[in-house]
Amino acid sequence: MSDIQSQLRARAAELLSSGEVVQVIGWMDGRFENQTTPAFIDRPEDAELLVFNEYCVNTTPKYTLYEKEHGKLAVCVRGCDSRGINRMIKDNQILRDQLYLIGLPCSGVKDRKTGELLIKCQNCNHRNPVVYDELLGDAVEEPQVNRYDVVERFEAMERDKRAQYFESTFNRCIRCYACREVCPVCTCRSCFVDQVNVGWQGKQNNLAENKFYNLTRVFHIGDRCVECGECERACPMNLPLMAFNRKMVKDLDDLFAAGEAGLDAEGTHSLGTYDVNDVEEFM
Amino acid sequence: MSVVEASEGTQKATVDANFEPTILAIACHWCTYTGADLAGMNRMNYPPNVRVLRVPCSGRVNPQYILTALNKGCDGVLVCGCHPGDCHYVSGNYYAKRRLMAFKRLLEYTGLEEGRLLIRWISGSEAGKFRDTVTEICQTVKALGPLSTSEQDALTAFSRSAAGLADINANVGAAAGFASAPEPNQADGAGE
Repeated sequence: MSDIQSQLRARAAELLSSGEVVQVIGWMDGRFENQTTPAFIDRPEDAELLVFNEYCVNTTPKYTLYEKEHGKLAVCVRGCDSRGINRMIKDNQILRDQLYLIGLPCSGVKDRKTGELLIKCQNCNHRNPVVYDELLGDAVEEPQVNRYDVVERFEAMERDKRAQYFESTFNRCIRCYACREVCPVCTCRSCFVDQVNVGWQGKQNNLAENKFYNLTRVFHIGDRCVECGECERACPMNLPLMAFNRKMVKDLDDLFAAGEAGLDAEGTHSLGTYDVNDVEEFM
Repeated sequence: MSVVEASEGTQKATVDANFEPTILAIACHWCTYTGADLAGMNRMNYPPNVRVLRVPCSGRVNPQYILTALNKGCDGVLVCGCHPGDCHYVSGNYYAKRRLMAFKRLLEYTGLEEGRLLIRWISGSEAGKFRDTVTEICQTVKALGPLSTSEQDALTAFSRSAAGLADINANVGAAAGFASAPEPNQADGAGE
């Protein structure tokens, strides 16, 4: 890990001093022990600040949206980040030419307080970046996990119990929209929750409005979700948001063989297209 | 799906026999709305609980319409469009099909009873099918009872209380594999 970190610092300094990129997006140490924070390095001498360890919890793709105006960016990408980048390219949010991707194999990141592997990493099956310009270090082994585990357990439950649990989930939502802010797929310039005059989303914090927000969010991103689990990590109320996202992903995969999003930058998403031979259940 | 099937297992002890559900029927202009018109011209009888909302195409149906209807007092929603292949705009109903298949599953996963959301393809000449479909959803929803009940309000209050939350986490969350009950993060002032 520290070997990769020193390579990363050296490469970042080279890229910046050669003028190939104007900024490197990665991580640096935060204020607390075992805490990192996203870093935006634009001077070669600052490259020493970059870190790469098992506490780099933030994903990087969303930041490119706000930094792309400065010029070409070098972005540190792990499996989840690279899929987010692919998704953003596919959504026309950024061009591949605007990015230099530094691939970093990842072994999962940990919660800084408990030292446990984060939930998003426990269910990860893409630890190596799927797209990169250079890969630092050696590729790691991809774990075999059943990422639909949570969904299957909920599906097996009685409807009443499930409804009760999800209701309490929606009830706890404080609608801070952190899940939207971190999501590499949530890139609408004007989000429906901010369009106050249109009136889709009320401002009250009650069950109906929270449910409306959460279900709309899930449905809106569900067909493009890269399953980075960043929404769930960012949630200050620790809501099991991936239990919804994965349900959509699973259904679309079962029904339309949608596959995994973000593995390449080509093609379209499963709800943006159709096939005349789709399963028929509304006759 | 029959009425009995829909209400099985979810039968509440207190479904009022006089309960009259409110159903929103979202109908595509070119097929279903015309079909409903034909049903009217033929003097067909169907339950008066249904409110018809005309849209240009079933592809126009934003899932948020369904959520809003359920939030604002409808007990069930019916979405109808042209048969696949018959869309006036060529492909609108194919998109709608994919969208609504996924959305129906999502709603039922998060707790909506099966039968409260019904999607059917009804052509302009199928007046009888329109009548039957409306009758079907009205009967189903009538058996299920109101969507928002005092029991549900009590449940909301319960799950908002600390004791209720602990109980739900212990009983349901644990069964779903969340060993440690999801509790709000401690604010530590860090820009995490």
